[in-house]
Order: sequence, then structure tokens, then C-alpha cells
Amino acid sequence: MNAAIETRGLGKHYGRVAALADLSLRVETGEVFGFLGPNGAGKTTTIRLLLGLLRPGTGSASVLGRPVRPGSAGWRADIGYLPGELALWPELTGGETLDHLARLAHARSTRRAELLERLAFDPADLGRRVSTYSDGMKQKLGIVQALETEPRLLLLDEPTKGLDPLVQQSFYALLAEARIRGTTVFFSSHVLTEVERVCDRVAMLRAGRLVALESVEAMRRAQRRRVTIALAAGADAGPLARFGSVTTQSGGRVELLVAARDVPELVVHLATIGFTDVTIEAPSLEDAFLERYR
Amino acid sequence: MIGALLRRQWRHHRASLAWLAFGMLVFEFLVTKLAPETTRMQSLLEMLPPAVLDTFGAELRATLSPSGFLAFGWIHPFALLMLGVWVVRVGAGSLAGEIGHGTMDLLAARPGARGSLVGAAALALWGGLAVLCLAGWSGIALGLRMRVLDGAGAGDLVEVVATCWLLFAAAGGLTLAISATRRSGSSATSYAAGLLSASFALDYVARAWEPLAWARPLSIFSYYAPQQIAARGAAAADVLALGVVVVAGTALAFLAFQWRDL
Repeated sequence: MNAAIETRGLGKHYGRVAALADLSLRVETGEVFGFLGPNGAGKTTTIRLLLGLLRPGTGSASVLGRPVRPGSAGWRADIGYLPGELALWPELTGGETLDHLARLAHARSTRRAELLERLAFDPADLGRRVSTYSDGMKQKLGIVQALETEPRLLLLDEPTKGLDPLVQQSFYALLAEARIRGTTVFFSSHVLTEVERVCDRVAMLRAGRLVALESVEAMRRAQRRRVTIALAAGADAGPLARFGSVTTQSGGRVELLVAARDVPELVVHLATIGFTDVTIEAPSLEDAFLERYR
Repeated sequence: MIGALLRRQWRHHRASLAWLAFGMLVFEFLVTKLAPETTRMQSLLEMLPPAVLDTFGAELRATLSPSGFLAFGWIHPFALLMLGVWVVRVGAGSLAGEIGHGTMDLLAARPGARGSLVGAAALALWGGLAVLCLAGWSGIALGLRMRVLDGAGAGDLVEVVATCWLLFAAAGGLTLAISATRRSGSSATSYAAGLLSASFALDYVARAWEPLAWARPLSIFSYYAPQQIAARGAAAADVLALGVVVVAGTALAFLAFQWRDL
């Protein structure tokens, strides 16, 4: 499979501060790739490096098979980009903004009406100046401009910021359709549930360094299960600690984190000591995220 | 790409361009109204002591001729301010302004080369300057249709106006170079306005104060003397010097913007 994005040792320093260090990753064509990390982890810096808005301090990147060079331009023709801090020209109307950006992309909008409808954006509002728009409307306009020319690669920096839950659902559906059409999506977000729902693989950044790069499923599988046990009267909770780490214990109720491979043995042990209830929670991406950032 | 960028520039600056052009037209029109009669200028000259006339006669005759007086309208602080406002507004606002506002991300992520962003800014700046200069010249032409000044025609001022355009095109090149290296429109505006003011002040002070005379060529305003241009035509060396600044400033803007982080 061809890589839509490939970075090798990519890094960027601002003075002594490393915004991004030694990032090597490969995003396959047609993949929906999640990019996670707390504020200042280097997500936006990575996206800006991939677009050639920043010059890398170290390493290199290629996008859609072409090396990223800030001075050159042709390789950006197939990219749709939504910035994390979307700024638009206040004196232009929504329609003029979309027309202007489509002209700059040398592309014709093929899906504007459909996208506006699905994002619950009243086409009549395109005649109003952007300065009168709410944040949510601006974000919808940003999504439309990124998607309307059907690019081969979407670079989306926190795309659901400011969208209400119903519109978020429509946006996820649009991404799912884009994936079916073979579009590659590189998606940074703080919202772990949406990444879990939408993405095939995720990378996690911490202080500019890659700390995890796996499929969402593998990350979940590798994550320890949260097991909550209500012990039978007189049962001894002490031996439970050898199956994992006990997070809370009060009365006969014990909560512990257990590696997937140890769960069957724990269940057998519980049968021998007696219990009234047991809950084994499927691990979430949020658990994985929190464990890596604590 | 440049066409689309120019369209946006037009949308953004058209109102201020219209007001500045109106100001230039009215101001230069008023200059033709305020110009004294030729006979009054001659009698002023005759009142001067012979020693002064021997030394400064040619320059004074150039200044106190009708076309010299009209050319004065092109070095008057009002006209310089109108043109300077345009240069700083467009030059500083186009590159640094878009970065500071956050819209540069969307522009620079499009397929066009970064150079086209600088090119569009330069074309908008120079084109707007041409409109302002044409408006000022039209003010003179209109004024001279309503009042005959002996020996003065609007055609005599074409070279003055063209050199004035070149002077501010040079100032625009320098402003674009500043804009290409700054991160906000306000910062670029401060630096560009400071540079133009310092350049103007340097020319003024270096002319009046001998110890600083050596520094005068460092000011772009030293290559622009409208009354002398009206009398004898533009000096090739001055035109060349201003042309070099236009090219160097714009080239610097292209290079700096090409390599910088956005």
C-alpha cells in the first residue's frame, strides 16, 4: 500500500523548546488516522509541517508521494485542510469565502450544496458576512471548504470544535464516506470518543514525542480491563492484588485494573473465594490515553 | 491564483483606495487653484538680491514657475501622506497582516506558490499607487481646464507623477520586505511607517545640515525632486536608484517569505 503521509525523524524547535522531536510515522492511503495529545503536544506543529507552513528543524516528510518543501506548491493541490484556529476574512460573505478558497485551490466545488445541507448550514446564510457568523457556523464553513473539492488527503485539526452533537454525527458520517471513497484522513482531536469511533489507527504525542502508534483496536486490547467485584461476605480481598493493581477498595467492593491475559485466571479465582457481582469493562481509548499521560 | 488574490485585495482595499484617490484628486485640483499668477512669481524673483539669484536662480526659477508650483503639490506632506498610507496599509496588511489575523494558514495551504502571495501583494500595491497618482494628475488636469496658468499644462507633470509613483513603489518594495519578515500587521505597520518617516526626515535634515549631507543618498526621498523634474526632466541616476530599490525590496520580500515559517 502507498503511504499518503510519511515522516522520518521530523522535528521542530523554537529556540530551546522542542515542539516536535524525531517523529517517524506512516499513514497509509485510505486510512483514517487519529492524532492525539494534550495541548502543546505538537499536533498542530505536525500538521503545519506536513503542509509546508513550517520548515522542519530535523528530518523530512512526504505527502501523497511527494517531498514536502515549504517553497514548492503543486503537491498541495490534493489536500483539504481545516486549521485548528480557523480564521476567515470578516468582510467576505460565506459564499465569497468558499468561492475564493476554491479558486485558490484551482478546483471546482462539486459538493457544496450537499455538504451545507448535511451540516445543517442554511444556504441563505452564505449571503451574510462571515463577521456575523457564530463560531459553530464558521467551523461548518471551514469543514465545507476542506471537503468540497473532494481532495485525496484531509488534514483536519480538531474539526468538531464548536459543533453541536447532531452536526458532529453528520460530520462523522461524511468522514466514513470519505474513507469509502479512498480519501486519507489525518485527524487531530481532544475528543477521544470520536477518535475511537472514526479512526483506524491512532498516534499519541506527549511533549513533542510519539508515545504510541497502534490501531485503535490493538490499543484497546493492550489496555488493562477495569474489573469491579462485589465480594461475598467473609471473602478475602488480599490475594486479588496479584492479578492487577487495585485502584479502590471499600467494604466488600474492589476495583482493579487487570491485563487481558490475567482476566480468565481472576475469574477462576473469584469462583473459589465467592462474589456477588462482577463487572468487566471493555477498555476505552480514554483509558489508554489517561494511562499514558498520567 | 494571483487573479483570485488580487480580487480579494480589491475587495479589502477598494473603499480606502477610493477615499485616498478622492483626496489626491481634490488636493491636486486645489493646488491649481492656489497657484499664484505667473507675473506675481516673476516679480517675486525680481525682488531677490542678485547674489541670491546668481547662486539659486535656476532652482528658484524652477520652483517659482507655474509647473514648478504644481510640482510642489507632489512633494507636499499631504500628497506624501496619502501615498504613504496606501503603501503601508497594503504592504503591511497583505503578508504580515494575513499571518497576524490567522488567514495565512488557509492561503498558504493552497496549491499556489508562496511567491504568488507576494506577487499579488506587490501588484495590488503598485496598481493602487498608479490609481492614486492618476487621480492626483487628473485633479491637475481638471484644475488647468478651469484655470489657465501661463506655460503650464498637465502633460508637463507626467514625468513628476511617474517619478512619484516610482518613489512610492520603492517604498512599497521595502514595506513588503518588512511585511514578509513580521508576524503581525501592526508590527509591520510600525516598522514600515518608521522606516518611511526616518527616510523622509533624513533627506530633510541632511539637506539642511552639512555634517549629515553624506547620509542623504541613504534616503529614497533624496532621489525625488519634483520641481527639478518639472523643469529639466527626471535624472536617469535618480530613476535608476529608485528602480533598484523597487527590485531589491521586492526580491527581498520574495526570498524572505519563501523561506520563513508561517
